[in-house]
Amino acid sequence: MSDPLLALDDVYKSYGEEQVLSGVSFEMDAGDVDVVIGPSGSGKSTMLRCVNRLTEIDSGDIYLDGDCVTDADTDVNELRKQVGMVFQDFNLFAHLTALGNVTLGLRKVRGMDKATAQEQGYEHLEQVGLSDQADSYPAELSGGQKQRVGIARALAMDPKLLLFDEPTSALDPELVGEVVDVMRDLAAEGITMLVVSHEMGFARSAASDIIFLDDGRIVEHGPPEQLFQNPQAARTGEFLSRLETAHEEE
Amino acid sequence: MGTQESTTAGRTLRARAAGLTDQPLTLLTVAGFWTWLVVRWTNDFLLDGALIDRNTSFFPTAPFEAAASTLGGLAASLGPVGFPVGWVAGFFEFLAASIPYLPQLATGVWATILLTVLGIALGFVIAVPLSVARVYGGTLTRSVALGYTELFRGTPLLAQLFVLYFATPLTTIIRELPAVGTGFIPAQAFWVAVIAFMLNSAAYQSEYIRSALNSVPEGQLTAARAIGLSKVDGIRHVVLPQGLRYAIPGWSNELVYLIKYSSLASFITVRELFERTDAIASETYRYTELFVLAGLLYLALVLSASLLMEYVEDRVAIPGLGTTSR
Repeated sequence: MSDPLLALDDVYKSYGEEQVLSGVSFEMDAGDVDVVIGPSGSGKSTMLRCVNRLTEIDSGDIYLDGDCVTDADTDVNELRKQVGMVFQDFNLFAHLTALGNVTLGLRKVRGMDKATAQEQGYEHLEQVGLSDQADSYPAELSGGQKQRVGIARALAMDPKLLLFDEPTSALDPELVGEVVDVMRDLAAEGITMLVVSHEMGFARSAASDIIFLDDGRIVEHGPPEQLFQNPQAARTGEFLSRLETAHEEE
Repeated sequence: MGTQESTTAGRTLRARAAGLTDQPLTLLTVAGFWTWLVVRWTNDFLLDGALIDRNTSFFPTAPFEAAASTLGGLAASLGPVGFPVGWVAGFFEFLAASIPYLPQLATGVWATILLTVLGIALGFVIAVPLSVARVYGGTLTRSVALGYTELFRGTPLLAQLFVLYFATPLTTIIRELPAVGTGFIPAQAFWVAVIAFMLNSAAYQSEYIRSALNSVPEGQLTAARAIGLSKVDGIRHVVLPQGLRYAIPGWSNELVYLIKYSSLASFITVRELFERTDAIASETYRYTELFVLAGLLYLALVLSASLLMEYVEDRVAIPGLGTTSR
């Protein structure tokens, strides 16, 4: 059995007095799609940001493909080349076109020449169905299109792992579908994804595992069928039923 | 859309900057001014006075003198109600009296432009790292940058000029350099003034750029870091291209100020517009005419700068970013 692609081992993180992560451990294999759910403030986003070290952990270890990435001597820029991230607020580079957003990393991080980078950039825009918007600036795109560019930008770096930080929660309801469809395609292509999201449709159909995080601890971790039909912990059941109600009200 | 608002938070959206064609009068004035300047400089500096003698104006004074005396006579004959005609006569008199000094002032304008452009451009080179240090630096670099800014913004520019010119060996050092003060290359006082303006303007420019950098949403640098750019590269390729665009309107102010503050260089003997005006005025005692004329020339320079910056702002505008939209 080979190493897991990503492993968190007893990760702790606090902001001052506030304990955000209290001993989080889990593993995921290459090709897995793990969806992290949990109430707001449970540490989901923080956990994600610890993986590419946008946030530094207090103790514990994080391994990517067998390498400990939380070592003090790890080159964070090298790490981030291998871990793509998609943000809740898109964070597209406002001064660059869609194509410019996708190619910046290729040119300035990977050191590709402009023509090659653009060729690859087009391919990635194609992958998210936006090659016709290559020359549009972020302000000229809809929320759903912005997020798809955000995904293409992360994909362009050819990462081992893609992190999604609530990719659809800033979107108008009618725009969620196009983003979820792209994510589903990526999952089907075998891209390893760690997704913080409450899109239950996506979780049911695409997730290998669901991780329920509450108060900085993993309460339950298992395949979607198990969590949805037969939750082991009472908290999980409670949270899921509240989520269902919220969705029905929408 | 909620997200749209959050990504543009902290920015003031201004209506599209008025296009250049919306101000035909300004455009015409500036075009006329620059035509005159360029022809004058070409004749005086490059062609060695081939078109016209260096001290002779392109414009004849006779028609204005004639108009002034005719209108003056008319005003006198109209008696007490003739005073508005008298004012017009006075205006022509002013033109006739000022025109002979235009060639000498054009030389001063050249020095003023050179001082301003060099001061602002070299100052910009210092201001960018200074403002980056203020926003993104550690405690030490931040305090050094802050100290620099406070020192140069907090003391009079004239005092800075005097200290550099009289109290430091700078003047002597520059004087010893080859070619200084020969041919097209101005004498040492000019270069001391350029250095003073560079240092002073850097402090002001860095304040404009700093506040512009602060208005670039934090998520921009986070996203840059997330694709593997170092902090410095993220600032260079993501934050600065946006921040500098936000900075243009404020920065234009600094350019306009410096055009006029460059007159302080006259105190250390730089032969720029103000110094020329003052020198000719004390010879001819035509203070009013000369200083009104100098004022008009400064005004024309400022209008030119405003037009130029409007053009630049329009050229680099990106939809949804900062003050203008396409």
